[in-house]
Amino acid sequence: MRLVLIAFVAMVASSISHVAVAQSIEEKAAVCAGCHGENGKPVSPEIPVLWGQKEGYIYLQLRDLKRGDRKHEIMSGIAAGLEKTDMQELAKYFSEKPWINLQQKSADAPTASQAQQVASSAQCEGCHLSGYLGDSTIPRLAGQSETYLLKTMSEFRSGARANNAWMVTLLKSYSDSDIAALSKYIAGL
Amino acid sequence: MTSFKFGTLSIGAAALLAGVLGASIATKAGDEIKNATKFGNMNSVTQDLLNRAGGDGNNFLLTNGDYTQSRYFPNKQINVSNVSKLRPAWVFQTEVKDSMETSPIVVNGIMYVTTSFDHVYALDARTGEELWHYKQKLGPITTYCCGPNNRGVAVYEDMVYLATLDAKLVALDAKTGKQVWETQVADPELGYSETMAPTAVKGKILVGTNGGEYGIRGFVKAFDAKTGKNLWTFNTVPESSVGVWATNDATGRDMHRDIAAEKAALAKNGDPYKTLGGGVWQNPAVDLDTNRIYFVVGNPSPDLDGSLRPGDNLYTDSLVSVDLDTGKYVCHFQYIAHDVWDMDAVSPPAIVKVADKDGKMIKGVIHGGKTGHIYVHDAKDCSLIRFSEAMVPQENMWVLPTKDGARMLPGANGGVEWSPLATNPSLGLAYAINLHQPMTYHVESSAYPAGKLWLGGAFKIIPTEEQWGNVTAVDYNTGKIKWQVKTQQPMIGGILATAGGLVFTGESNGQFEAFDAETGAALWKFQAGAGVNAPPSSYSVDGKQYVVVAAGGNAQVDSKRGNSIIAFTAD
Ligand code: HEC
Ligand code: HEC
Repeated sequence: MRLVLIAFVAMVASSISHVAVAQSIEEKAAVCAGCHGENGKPVSPEIPVLWGQKEGYIYLQLRDLKRGDRKHEIMSGIAAGLEKTDMQELAKYFSEKPWINLQQKSADAPTASQAQQVASSAQCEGCHLSGYLGDSTIPRLAGQSETYLLKTMSEFRSGARANNAWMVTLLKSYSDSDIAALSKYIAGL
Repeated sequence: MTSFKFGTLSIGAAALLAGVLGASIATKAGDEIKNATKFGNMNSVTQDLLNRAGGDGNNFLLTNGDYTQSRYFPNKQINVSNVSKLRPAWVFQTEVKDSMETSPIVVNGIMYVTTSFDHVYALDARTGEELWHYKQKLGPITTYCCGPNNRGVAVYEDMVYLATLDAKLVALDAKTGKQVWETQVADPELGYSETMAPTAVKGKILVGTNGGEYGIRGFVKAFDAKTGKNLWTFNTVPESSVGVWATNDATGRDMHRDIAAEKAALAKNGDPYKTLGGGVWQNPAVDLDTNRIYFVVGNPSPDLDGSLRPGDNLYTDSLVSVDLDTGKYVCHFQYIAHDVWDMDAVSPPAIVKVADKDGKMIKGVIHGGKTGHIYVHDAKDCSLIRFSEAMVPQENMWVLPTKDGARMLPGANGGVEWSPLATNPSLGLAYAINLHQPMTYHVESSAYPAGKLWLGGAFKIIPTEEQWGNVTAVDYNTGKIKWQVKTQQPMIGGILATAGGLVFTGESNGQFEAFDAETGAALWKFQAGAGVNAPPSSYSVDGKQYVVVAAGGNAQVDSKRGNSIIAFTAD
């Protein structure tokens, strides 16, 4: 998967360098569809759902990726080629698309109850709002790809994803098994 | 000193206004004009009307009742002897079922209320019937620590003013609810947001800012009421924020600062003023005689980590006064220098007549702190005259936060949170609602995150310890607690005192209650079905007095959400 993505990124990067020519938002977003999905379903479980994600959150991630506050071998390069207005337009464009149901299975009862226990002590829904639907700069989590959730939460814990100090501190106080349960539970909502 | 003439002015103005309003009163045209010039054209909120709000028994024109922020409503139709008959006159349900912190504003029978996510409703104050509904179209970035709250509108002439989560100030046509102008107050991407009600005075609309949890540089700004043009900005954090290296707090307790380490950090990194926080959450009190405003400034950023911000962090955790016309600094008093507990100053100050140290009656300013003290200041120079007995348990103050957490009382919500005080000037009492929420304070240093949450650690509620709240009456001339009523849950919202000898406040469990202002005796209660975490207002229309409050719960204490505005009468 990684090789494929890297090959793809070279293509993407070259197409992005032509952004200078006036491009419609559909043209700009077409690049993203290669990974985040033509119809909103990402091409791999490591890639997060972008359609229907919150506008402010998408914008801030692109901003952080460009600045280097969040790092990812592919996305950093992509964001580097974007101007602030591109990021704003893309964020608006994707946030207005419908959220795609990935048809992930609901967590079994013991996993769900482990996850709910952690969630209530950490007040996850206090910020991510009820049903984990997010708002503004707070991402929607409900129905996000389980593989991606597990990966990004693990990266918060290790500090590899350092663009939100609160999430880092918070998730550090839970075990690997708690994080796995949370990923499964939230993905299956 | 118009602000102190509560007694005489209240009766006079209330009676006269009732006359102007009464539909069937057959006055001669000449009289009407005379009244109109004296009390203003009632369709429009004139400065004159606002100046007299403290004595106006019909309207509720300013968020905290009047410019002194007394929260003392001068009508006594509802009083200790008939309050037991209080019952709902109407209930209005808003479209938004989330945290409600709105202070209803009432102008000549029209009520303005707001909800979470910045909706505004105009209602018929007699019936609760909706007249118009405005929804602010929020931008993509809104940053708020403590829920998508809004605490209400300001009214001035023919407009209604709203400050929004995406840090805008908006003017609406009071008749139609249509937007007249909007202006960007600050950049939400950097963590600025607005939840407070603006204050309207002398052609200006004043707003502060939230963002002390996001590394902002706080301010109070004045905008032209007609055009939205920014007239002045007072930065709550001056370029030299270091101060005097105070080692004790306002009450004389050692804060355990490591001054040598701070001085080393200062030499290395310079003054931290650019991201030092200092939000202003609540309305200023306005002294019409001296043309000064008084407000309190919130915590430094990051909340728990002092290592990145050497110095006293002026003017965080302070009472500050500035000139109304220019925004120029007049005086300040810092309660806690270099705060690392978020024990900041958020409850709006009130101007009262108070005994100074020699017993002489002077103009004072009082503020209810998260520490659980009510602080009493001399309005002239902001200096501290006295502080009250602690209204909640204090333990282990000021233990420094640690990685694994240090327990200290009060918890970081107070004492008194943003909830406004009420006063009864003839009894010389201030009424405060308090929280008791044991917490541990954890520090974990992290770099400035460009407008994202920046606590520098965490506050954790200790799940095994009991939490509760109280309503406390404090004699501000002596600092002694007059009475105290314990409540099941920590209290957040607000309180209202009336000339009827009553104090109204609500609880997270949905109880809305009236207490005897002198004794604290519980006289009446009503179950609202959702957390009553908003300050009550009162007004009268067609000669009938109402008490009104929002029951929508609260995000910060996670009380049950709802969407009701409930108005009560006593017949
Ligand atoms: C070559 C594949 C690829 C392309 C093309 C691509 N992305 Fe991504 N994107 C990813 C991957 C993989 C991640 C997950 C990053 C991580 O794990 O931290 C991601 C993450 C993101 C995120 C963060 C989402 C979240 O939930 O935190 C945003 C926003 C995003 N991409 C936007 C875009 C936009 C806009 C474009 C087009 C301009 C784009 N991406 C193109 C692969 C791609
Ligand atoms: C104090 C508020 C707050 C709390 C509590 C909180 N989060 Fe978050 N969370 C955020 C914010 C803000 C972001 C966006 C991070 C950023 O800006 O990069 C986020 C991001 C995330 C992400 C990344 C989503 C993505 O698409 O990449 C996950 C997963 C997540 N949170 C899970 C949780 C879980 C699980 C809990 C409870 C254990 C929790 N959060 C509690 C505020 C919070």
